[in-house]
Formats: sequence, C-alpha cells, structure tokens
Amino acid sequence: MALDMKTEPLVRVQNLKMHFPIYGGLLQRKVGDVKAVDGISFDIYEGETLGLVGESGCGKSTVGRAVLRLYDITDGAIRIDGDDIATADAGKLRSMRPLMQMIFQDPQASLNPRMTVADIIAEPLREHVKMSKIEREDRVLELMDQVGLNKEFANRYPHEFSGGQRQRIGIARALALNPKFIVCDEPIAALDVSIQAQVVNLLEELQDRLGLTYLFISHDLSMVRHIADRVAVMYLGQIAELAPRAELYEAPLHPYTQALLSAVPEPDPNIEEQVERIILTGDVPSPSNPPQGCNFCTRCPQVMEICKTVEPQFQEVQPGRFVACHLHQIAENAASEAHKSIQQGEIT
Amino acid sequence: MKLTTALMGAAATLVLTPAAFADGHEGERGRDGQLNIIYWQAPSTLNPYLSGGTKEIESASMIVEPLARFNEVGEMVPWLAESIPTVENGGVAEDLTSITWTLKEGVLWSDGTPFTAEDAIFTWEYCTHPEGGCANINYFDGVTSMEAVDDRTLKITFDAPKPFPYTALVGSESPIIQKAQFENCIGAAAPTCTEQNFGPIGTGPFKVDEFKANDVIQLSANENFREAGKPAFATVLFKGGGDAAASARSVLETGEFDYAWNLQIDPQVLSDMEQVGIGTVAVAFATSVERLMVNQTNPDPALGDERATLAHPHPFLTDRAVGRAMSMAIDRSLLVEVGYGAGGQPTCNVLPAPEAYASTANDDCLTQDIEGAKQVLEDAGWTDTNGNGIRDKDGIELEVLYQTSTNAVRQDTQALIKQWWSEIGIETELRNIDASVFFGSDPGSPDTFQKFFADVEMYTNNFAGVDPEAYMARWLCSDIPSPENQWQGNNNQRFCDPAYDALVDEMSQTADLDRRAELAKQMNDMLMQSYSIIPLIHRGNPSAHANSLGGVKMNDWDSEIWNVKDWYRTE
Amino acid sequence: MFNFTIRRLILTIPTLLFISFVIFLIVKLSPSDPTGNLPLTIPAEVREQIREALGVNQPLIVQYLKWLQQFFWIEPLIYLENATGWDLGAGDATRLISYQTRSPVMDLIMQRMPQTLWVVGTAYVVGILIALPIGVISAYKQYSVFDQVGTFVSMVGFSVPPFFSGVVVIVLFSVIIPSDSFFWLPSIYDTTHRVTDWDSFVYQFRQMIMPVMVLALQITAQISRFTRASMLDNLNQDYVRTARAKGLRERTVVLLHVLRNSMIPVVTVIALGIPSIFGGAIITEQVFKVNGLGQLLILSIQGGDVPTVQTLTFIFAILIVLFNLIADILYGLLDPRIRYD
Repeated sequence: MALDMKTEPLVRVQNLKMHFPIYGGLLQRKVGDVKAVDGISFDIYEGETLGLVGESGCGKSTVGRAVLRLYDITDGAIRIDGDDIATADAGKLRSMRPLMQMIFQDPQASLNPRMTVADIIAEPLREHVKMSKIEREDRVLELMDQVGLNKEFANRYPHEFSGGQRQRIGIARALALNPKFIVCDEPIAALDVSIQAQVVNLLEELQDRLGLTYLFISHDLSMVRHIADRVAVMYLGQIAELAPRAELYEAPLHPYTQALLSAVPEPDPNIEEQVERIILTGDVPSPSNPPQGCNFCTRCPQVMEICKTVEPQFQEVQPGRFVACHLHQIAENAASEAHKSIQQGEIT
Repeated sequence: MKLTTALMGAAATLVLTPAAFADGHEGERGRDGQLNIIYWQAPSTLNPYLSGGTKEIESASMIVEPLARFNEVGEMVPWLAESIPTVENGGVAEDLTSITWTLKEGVLWSDGTPFTAEDAIFTWEYCTHPEGGCANINYFDGVTSMEAVDDRTLKITFDAPKPFPYTALVGSESPIIQKAQFENCIGAAAPTCTEQNFGPIGTGPFKVDEFKANDVIQLSANENFREAGKPAFATVLFKGGGDAAASARSVLETGEFDYAWNLQIDPQVLSDMEQVGIGTVAVAFATSVERLMVNQTNPDPALGDERATLAHPHPFLTDRAVGRAMSMAIDRSLLVEVGYGAGGQPTCNVLPAPEAYASTANDDCLTQDIEGAKQVLEDAGWTDTNGNGIRDKDGIELEVLYQTSTNAVRQDTQALIKQWWSEIGIETELRNIDASVFFGSDPGSPDTFQKFFADVEMYTNNFAGVDPEAYMARWLCSDIPSPENQWQGNNNQRFCDPAYDALVDEMSQTADLDRRAELAKQMNDMLMQSYSIIPLIHRGNPSAHANSLGGVKMNDWDSEIWNVKDWYRTE
Repeated sequence: MFNFTIRRLILTIPTLLFISFVIFLIVKLSPSDPTGNLPLTIPAEVREQIREALGVNQPLIVQYLKWLQQFFWIEPLIYLENATGWDLGAGDATRLISYQTRSPVMDLIMQRMPQTLWVVGTAYVVGILIALPIGVISAYKQYSVFDQVGTFVSMVGFSVPPFFSGVVVIVLFSVIIPSDSFFWLPSIYDTTHRVTDWDSFVYQFRQMIMPVMVLALQITAQISRFTRASMLDNLNQDYVRTARAKGLRERTVVLLHVLRNSMIPVVTVIALGIPSIFGGAIITEQVFKVNGLGQLLILSIQGGDVPTVQTLTFIFAILIVLFNLIADILYGLLDPRIRYD
C-alpha cells in the first residue's frame, strides 16, 4: 500500500516553514527567529501511517502542530483532503477541524482537569455536530467502548485515571468527529512500557477499522518501525531522509539515519556486542542559528568540503526514497526534475 | 518670613474686627444653614470629664457650658453666671474661703427643663467621685462643699483660703452637665452610660443629633438657647480624622470646611495654602512653651536605682555657666522660622503670658550669641584639654543625651540645637521616643519624660486658664519625681530651691492680683536664672477659617470655638 | 470535604485562643498609657485615678480572662438579646469598654463597619472587576502594547503608596478643579451621609470615587498580575491545544478552558484577601477621612486603648483563619484534583 503512490495524497505538505520570533532586550523587541521547521515537504496517502522520527528538539512536534494549523505557519502550503489548510481563516479552519485531529504526548496535561471524561469527549460533538443530548451521550459511551474504557467512568475527572486510560480518553476524544487524519504526537512517550504496546495496538486496530491516516511522531525508532508504512527522519528542522519503512531500516542512506539506527539497542546481547555504533560528537546546533550548508555538517562522520557551503537538495534518489545529502546527490538536472515532480505531485 | 508674619498679624486683627459689626448680622436662629468644622484629631467622647483631651473638651464646649469663660485676651466673662463674683462685689468671701455665683435667669437645658444650681452641684459630685476617673478633677481641688442657696444661687466653700477661686465650673474644662441625665452615671457606672456620654444635654447653642466616636458629630441649633437669634447656624458638622495638612487644605484650598483646628504643619505649606485666598489662618497664643528641661540629677545608668534622683547631682548641668551657654547658643528665631512660622514666637520665659505675668528680665536670650557662650564656658573653666573638640573639666566631658518625642518639628529643632551646641564644644546625642511612651506614665518604662533618664529633654507644657499659681507650684522640691513616688511629679528637671518653695507658699496666700503677678515673675526669673529650664518657643495655636465665616475670635485661654454661638456667614 | 471542614473548624479554636493570648501580651506589654495623650495640664494623681477606673492596674491574667469572658460570652449574649428581645440576663454585665471613648468596643466596631465595607469592599470588587479582564487580555496578548501598558500600570499601582496617590488625586480633583465643576470631587468622606434618593446616591457615588479608585489601583495591580501569570501558565498547557484541535471557537477556548482553570488560584487569592477588607485601609481611610475600622485601629493604638486594639486585631485574626479555611474549601470545590478526605 505504501508504495502505491498513484492516488492523490490525503495530506500534502510543501516547503513548510515554522519560525518562532525571539524577543529580547529592554523593550522586548524581536531579535531573531527559532527556525523550528525550515522548509520541509512530504505527502501522506489515505490509510497509511507516516512515521516522523528525530531527536528531541528537532522540530517534529512542531511539524505535527503546524500541519493541523495549531500554529500560524511562517511559509509553505498544506493541503488536507483537497482543502488548503495553510491559508484558511479561523472560521474555515474550524469547520475543517472534524477532518483532522491530534493525539497528544502527555495525556494528563492535554485533558482539561476541570472537565469530566464525558464532557471532554462530548465537547467537540457539541461544537460541530447537531445531535440531541441523548444521542450525544450515546455517542460518548460508544466512543469510550471503542477505545476500551469502562462506561461507568464517564463522569469521572481525568486525574482519576491511569496514564494509559487517559491516553484512551484522548483517543476517544480525537475520534469523536470521525476524522480522516490524526496526528499522533508521541502518543506513547509518557506511558509505561507495558502500556505502550496496548495503546499502539489500539491505534492500529482503529486504523484498520476506521480507515484512519496517521502522522505518527516519535523518537522511538523501534515503535515507528512497528507501526509506520513510511518513515521520515528529521534533523534540525528539516527532513534528512524519507523512505518506505523496510528500505530505511535495511539500508539507510543519510549518515544521520545511519547513526540513529546504529543507536537502537539489539535485543540479542551477542549481536549487541558486535554492533558497531556510530557515535555522533558535538551538540545539535541552535535552531536559531543553524550552520551554513548542510544542517548536519557539524556532526556528520562523513563530512565533505561541499557540505559546509552548499545546502544539499531534498530529492528522490531511488523510487520512493528521498534524501538530502551530498553523498547521494544526483545530477543537477535530474535532481531538479525529480524535485519538480515532487512539487507537482506527479511522480510516476 | 517677615512678610508672612506681618500678614498673620494683619489677619489676626481682621479676625477681631467683625465683632464690632456683629449687630449687622443678627437675624433669626438657624438662618445661615450648615457650619462645617474639621478637627483632624477626632473626639472620642462628648463628656469632657471622661477624657480631658483638647479635642473632646472643645467639641463639648458647643454643647455644655461653664459659669464663666475666658475670652480671647484671657479675661473672664460671665457665661451661665450673671457676673463675675469678686471680693469687691461681695461674691467672694473676705477670708477667701467661699465664692457665691448667681446664675442667669431663665436658662433652659436643650430638652426644655430649667437649669438650676442643683445641676452645678451634681457636676461637682460627678467629677469628684473616687471611682469615676474624672479627668478634670483638679478643677475642683479644695472644694469642700457646694450648696444651692436657691435655684439661681450657688455657694462654693473651700477648705482653705483660695486666692484664685475661679477654677471650679469655670472654663471649658469644667462645664456643667445635667443632673437629670447623668444621675445614674456616677462613679463606676460612668463609662457604661454611652448614650449620655455621647449625647450630653447642654445649655449651649447646639445640641447633639448624632455622635460617632472618633469620627463625626452632627449638631443642630438648640431651640431653647437663651440668646435670641443665636446661633446663626442651623446645623454643625464636626468632622474628625485625617491629618493637619489635609484639614488645612479642606478649609484653605478646597473650601469644603469652614473651620480647621490646630494646624501645626510646615509654616511654608500653610502660608502657601493661605495664598489661595478663600480662607485665613489665625493664631492664638496662651501659655504653651516649648522648653528644654535640663536635668539637675545624674542619669548615669551605673547608679542603678538611684539614677536621676536628688542623691546624685548632675556632674556638669548643675553648673549654671553650662546651662547659660547652652541657652545663649540657640537661635530661637531660626527655630520659629523652621518649625513654627506664625504658630510660634521666641521666648525667654517659662511663663510667657498672660501679659501681666510675663517677665522681661531674661530677654537677652532672644539673640543668639555663640561667641558669648564660648566665653561663658571658658570663664567657668570648661576648655578642650584633650583636643577632641569637646570641652571638659576635671576629666568630665560636656556630652549630653537630648531626648524628646517623635515629631518632625521636634527632630528638626533637635538637629539645629545639636549643631549650635557642637559649635560651642558640647557634644550632643539625640534620641526620640514615641509620644504615647514618652508622655505615658508607665512606671515600668524607662523612657518617660518623668523618669528623665537623659541630660536634656524637650517638650511643650502649659497651664489651663489664666492663673499661674498651680503651674508655678510645679517646681517645688516636693514635686520631684522619684522612685519613692513612683516617678509621679511635675518637677521633671529636679529643680530644688527653698527660696523658691517659699515664694510658692506666699503666692498661695496672696489674693492681690498685682502682688501675685510680681511673685509669678520672680519665680519665673529664678527658674530661668537656674538654667534648669531653657525656654525656646512660645507656641500659638494656628487654626484656619473660611473667609465667609464671621465672628471667629481665636482664643487659647478657653475652647477655641468658645463663641461659636456668635459665628455667622458673612454673605 | 465535610469531615475536613469540621476537623479544621475544631482545630481553629485552640489556634484562635493562642492568637488571642499572644495579641493580648503584645498589646499589653508594649509600653503605652491610655492617659499618655492627655494634656500635660492633667496632674499625675488624676491620671492614676483614670487608669484605676479603667482597670489598667489589675493583674494581667485577670484582665485577659475578663476580656475572654466579655468577648466570647457577654458580647454575643447582648447581641442575641438585642436581636431576639429575650432576657438572657446579660443586662447588668460589664461590656467590653474602650478606654478612649468609654463606650462598648463592639458598638464602635459595628458603627465603623458600614463605611469600611462600602469603601474598601467596593474598591475590592471594582479592583477585581478591572483586574480580571486586564489580566486575561495581557496574558492572551503577551508582550503586546496592551500588556506592556498593563505591566506599567500594575507596577505603578504596586509601588505608589496611597498616601501619595491619594493626595495627588485630591489636589487634582478637589483643589485644581473648581468646586462648581462637574468633575470636582469631595476630598473628605461624609460618614453621616444617608442615601435616600437619587441625588444623595449621586453624592455618595462621588464621594466614594477617589478613595475607591485609589484603593482599587492597588488591588487591580495585584490581582491582574496574578491572573496574568495564572493565565500564561494555562495558555501553554496541552489541554488548550486539545481544545483548539477540537475546533472550538477561540473565545470558548480562552474563556471556558483557560480562564476557568486559571481562576482556581486567583479565586483563592481573592478569598484570602477578603479579611483585609475588614481590616480597612488605614492609610487611605486616613487620607480621605473615611474613618472606618482601619482608622479606629490606628487611633486605638496611638491612644493606648488596649480593649479596642485587642478586640479589633482578634477579629481580624478570626477572619484570616476563617478565610484561609474558606480558600482551602474553595480550592477543593474548584479543582477536582484536590480532595481532602
């Protein structure tokens, strides 16, 4: 399914930029920008799961929020189900909300502590759907049932639940309006390992049953390998590599992807000992002042002279595989053609 | 400054003149509407016998009245009495042991009942009850009996010849209260009679409508008042609270009030406010003198229980040369200018008024003489032998501790005097103590002005009324505060001179007013030349009134608003 | 919650007794003399008689126990009698008498209550009403011009004492503006004024403007800063993002989700501030001559009036203890995460 790219993507993001202003000085004037997301593009097809991985601080959560326009983006285009999200005004955007939802990292913080579970789940229904009180109550109970919550607990407050249960509330809430597209922003990061699998399984099950499309944001490479169809690797506000899951995990192209994957612990201690780890040195540069040329050039083990001056293009180097690295740069013409084809969404 | 003083004088004379035209302002009672008076210290009760504070006595003076009052020049004027009894007119017995007052005819209380001699007798009984805690009981000192010869004749008998018999029931401190109202409030029951204490029935021009303790009094004209067409005002709002500057502002700048009391604020500020032109500041001088008390005993803590007692004379302040030099070094005019403005005059006497009693023998202190002061010390053998800038003799350094109550003007005065004394080689340490502690008489507190555990202390004192006999008797040897009398006593500087005691004794047996004046001056001069008291300022009482208010006669011998019955609106 | 409340109420009794004793000792042992402010012309023997009549010289413990009896037994009894008309036998008992006025302390307090509640209470309400929107908007538009101005005004409100701001407004509105102008305001509060018709209401309103606004400035400064901080805390919470992701109107997000959660600590602070209304505003009352409870307290302290000082401070103590409890209970009611049982 992942490689079946003939259909129109459900989500299309092009050259997305999200810069946050920095205020400083006596008068709190703007003194610069944090370039949290700096020109990224990707598509997500209906029914697929795109994994978005990267170190913390690389901007992946910002991408998730920006795609749903929880931020006013700096530049770029976002289309979801054919509608332009990037420029929609508040009213238009609100009417599009039912289509796209989000599941947050911290289930505790993302639920209003002063509302009961029933209220939390019912609120979007109240806002967007005309239904009677009884219908709404039924729908709430149905949703709770769907995510495996005991219906008896409808009138309890979020703090009375465990972490896993809270995340189920969050999921039920996200499902309330029958969305097509859900951004899962590290939905399992705050949970116990034993609970993580349950939640991931629930998400997969719901995807199968309801035909959902996920943008699954995580720093956990093995979990992404489990759930995603395609995977995008982010570094310092940009996508370093994007490829179908199997290819990416088997044969990563970008040195950063290689380094990330080499850090994944092996369950077998014998193999674990033999694994040759690529240790990255130095710190991630500040997103308010990224390095010249390639973003990764300050830490790349295979850095070349060109990396320090010329920014590599993000281009399709093999069918379905995109990478931004001078090691894999193809001829200028071909590159621009490939790039163009991405731009126009006409890859064949 | 000179100009302002002149203006004040002019203002003061203006204040007096409208009385002459008072006739032109007569009319029916209550014709002038409301009178607004502000006292920045609010009265806490309207029973002057239960408080003794100026604010209570003055507010009550609109309601309850005495037999006679003192006018603006300190002369007695009959009030509820027909005339002032004297030996000449037979009102005072030849042997000075009794006085007989005749009450005015037809005087009614504000409730319509007649005022009689019985009420006067009751007032005496009320105040002299041992459990009543009457604050003005000393006005009845020496009274052994009062009897009503008839409804309008009151005979007061004294235990000994009373050369000045005009204390009981004379002046704003001992007005007559109604027997019918207070009958059940005598002795220990006095404080339980809130209704009576907050709303006494009186013979005065106004009666109480509402009293809120420490806040406000509402009064209205007494329809039974004995003088036709008076008072001119139908109602009075007597507001308390705030501070002196704000109450001055309310009369002189915003015009919300007609009369403001006791405006002891920065003289410059006051005269600036007066420039606005809607009100006038008037000052009345009586007997208040800001003075330095010079301790004649040794306050050294090392002396333990005998500290500041006659057993240990002060090591250097008993040397009159030192006291004299200290007095000469002070520029009293500058002190007036800095702290008092129109509200003060330099003085060299502890008894500055009434005029008949004021000595002129000490007036050379009016001009500062630093060089002279140095010479006096030099001649007395006080020289700076060790070069530390402080004069000394026989190993004793001229170092003084100078205390007073906490008050901005007093602290300014302290700083100036310290400067002058340092110029003549006397080192001064300053100290100020909260007024309620300093003037309090807690025998356990070391900081009271009576214990006087310092070398020099400064405060104001005065006497009520016009007769200085009791005041001058403060400096008897027997009136020195000491552990034996729980530090109670008035002779705070511990002055003791048998010759002085003899003069006090003589005065208490002399009825002739000229001779009394002579004795008073003599005593004043003795005190002054002992330099145990260094008088600084003759303090007046500045008040402000709206220019539209007529009939005000500033008076510091009685209640300031003693003649409120004669006040009127000028336009 | 009920058990918690009862437990806390029972605990307050020893606390309050202890407080009353400490207050008593502090007031009593500090050197002050009820006759200290009398004119010096009153001789020492007379002062001694006055003190004797006031009962100042009785042993400390007797005075304390007497106060306890009067405060906790006789005064409530008398109020009960007055309210119901029953005769409970309190008629002859000695009431708590103020040294200064020789009248019952409780009556004085009751007399002062209306103007204090009117002026300080109104200022509190006005302050809060101004503060909440300012706090909400400054947080929502953090670093905007509005926020900067709000910060500046709050800073001014915090740092300018009422004895300054009070006098400034008096000079502006009572002195500079002529008294026949519409904008002129009285500088002296008339406590005898009764509201009977429209005109007298207007006068009452006018004489309240200055003291109320001077006080409200301070209260606004405090509460608006607090609201802003609390709003900012909540605005960055995930549940706000959730609310936005739900597609709620921005107004709903801010007013329903953010504000309601932000109000939890603010309401507590507001409740804790209520005793200060009864405490009056010593300085502001003095500046505008409102003569409420604050002025009563300061005069009593100056006059060495132990029973009044003791009773007033103790009533403040009761209110503070009580409103602490109320704040705790409110917190529990508002925030489902807090449970006391």
